[in-house]
Amino acid sequence: MIDSKLYLDRNKTVMFGIFENPDKFLDTVGKIHKKGANIIDCYTPFPVHGIEKAMGLKRSLLPVGAFIFGCCGFLTAASIQWYMMRYDWPMIIGGKPTIGISFMPVLFEMSVLFTAFGLAFIFFFRSKMLHGKIPSERVDMRQTDDRLVIAIATDNAAVSKSELTDMLFDGGAVEVKERTNHDYEDFTDVEIKRGSNI
Amino acid sequence: MIHDSIIRTPLVTGDKTLHDVTTEICRPIENKPTTEWKVGFTLSAIFFGILALTLTLTMVIGIGTWGLNKTVQWGWDITNFVFWVGIGHAGTLISAILLLFRQKWRMSINRSAEAMTIFAVMCAAIFPLFHQGRLWVGMYWVLPLPNAFGSLWVNFHSPLLWDVFAISTYFSVSLVFWYLGLIPDIATVRDRAKTAGRKFWYNFFSMGWTGSVRTWNRYEVVSLVLAGISTPLVLSVHTIVSMDFATSVVPGWHTTIFPPYFVAGAIFSGFGMVLTLLVIARKVMNYQDYITIGHLEAMCKVVMLTGTMVGLAYITEFFVAAYSGVEYEQYAFINRATGPYWWAYWSMMTCNLIAPQVFWFKWARTTPWFIFMLSIVVNVGMWFERFVIIVTSLHREYLPSGWVMYSPTIMEIGIFLGTFGLFFTCFFLFAKFLPVINMSEVKSILKNRE
Repeated sequence: MIDSKLYLDRNKTVMFGIFENPDKFLDTVGKIHKKGANIIDCYTPFPVHGIEKAMGLKRSLLPVGAFIFGCCGFLTAASIQWYMMRYDWPMIIGGKPTIGISFMPVLFEMSVLFTAFGLAFIFFFRSKMLHGKIPSERVDMRQTDDRLVIAIATDNAAVSKSELTDMLFDGGAVEVKERTNHDYEDFTDVEIKRGSNI
Repeated sequence: MIHDSIIRTPLVTGDKTLHDVTTEICRPIENKPTTEWKVGFTLSAIFFGILALTLTLTMVIGIGTWGLNKTVQWGWDITNFVFWVGIGHAGTLISAILLLFRQKWRMSINRSAEAMTIFAVMCAAIFPLFHQGRLWVGMYWVLPLPNAFGSLWVNFHSPLLWDVFAISTYFSVSLVFWYLGLIPDIATVRDRAKTAGRKFWYNFFSMGWTGSVRTWNRYEVVSLVLAGISTPLVLSVHTIVSMDFATSVVPGWHTTIFPPYFVAGAIFSGFGMVLTLLVIARKVMNYQDYITIGHLEAMCKVVMLTGTMVGLAYITEFFVAAYSGVEYEQYAFINRATGPYWWAYWSMMTCNLIAPQVFWFKWARTTPWFIFMLSIVVNVGMWFERFVIIVTSLHREYLPSGWVMYSPTIMEIGIFLGTFGLFFTCFFLFAKFLPVINMSEVKSILKNRE
């Protein structure tokens, strides 16, 4: 089993708001982001549309990587075909040129093949995904089922903890928790009730 | 935020909550297999056994066990190859092209259709591999490795080689697309797992997925790019398969309309098979709320459209042969319709052009048992199409001394039935161990939000 340090571990204290309603969740995430709080990440069981905007995430640059991989595929196919059909053993079939339009299908297929595999590879790499990795960012066992979680760093945020708690509860959170990281993989979660003194 | 039309029926019925979706779709994975599953799986495994036996005999005795002869050098093998590749076209069409067109009804059916794509391409690959006879020698010819008996390379001007690249790219890209789509759902199963084995395996394949929005953000981009490149890919595959025929000088094959005609036929047969499986699966697995009559109706419309396109191609071929003035072409088509294989030609015409026209009537598109019957008709018709193209064109040579008849041997029939065994064995395993419906996508289109 492989594990690695992730976003959650880098922050000493993290507050979690756990939601059941996706629309209320989206609203609250937007409000908290506008307020200037430092949202570490959100965890949702399905892609909530518009949340990347609400959180202030930028569009991923993965397509650029995919394009580069596609070009590599194109060049690989071009060199294989040029080497085999032109350089090493020119094969004349039906008096047709040794290099021609008939190279197109393989050029296309190899470009697509390299793009797809390259894209999947950089996606896994960028998202730190690996077979068998322990999902250490799992706040709630139901975050892949029907719960939506927002994780906010509280130690250096522009918003006070009590303000955050109020915003989360007013926004419709069913549960608010605070996590203190003592060390890597060693943490305590404390449940916060509405109006409790923190 | 979702703003749905109040007139349009919802894509998922039964007022499901997010949790209902998870529980209902994970049910077959978490419970013991049902009797229906056991019976179905055993039957499929028996046919899979027939495949193993017939392929072993083919290799041990040789390709002479098949009914091929000097004139009809492609028979059931390439017929079945094109048949299975065609079936493999619906999955990527649904998940890639319908994604680009933002057709949300694809979400309940894309997972199983993609699985079918992968299994169908596996079945298809068996035929070109084994029709080489001694495939371990043939591999040198198929892959870009120097010829075992000299310093020649493979011929990149040949559509047969393009086909090797097209089919293998299509298979591996579809597999990547399918697996990426599965990861969030595997994580859901992992987080509900109670047994140690399930915890380990679903954890292994979920790759540490937690549903992080940063990852979802990239994931959506990856899906879009993969859909973008899979769209021309899916069209290229059957185009190249058609070029295996179209670039030859055989009357009846030497036709420029083959690429679009084959692609339309592939989508037609793919949807035929998706309907066959899903009409049964939604009933047996109790997924009527996810795969609704609306979904079946939409697929029937695609079947009707592509069936008509294929029919138009049949008629165009006849017209072009007549108009060309080439007597070999003219003979090839008259011989198809009135020659010794007339029954195959008219089965094809009836099943592919005439039968799907019943889908003009709403009753036909919304009655599951009727759709099931029609989907079988479509499958049969599309098999006959390939048989007609291959066998009727080959059994008549330019010289009458080369005129022969072709009929399959028990071995060829065994291999064909055996591929159904492989296909259904894989499908039953898929239905038992993986979520048949894409939970995370279906959750995003639920209606009963506040």
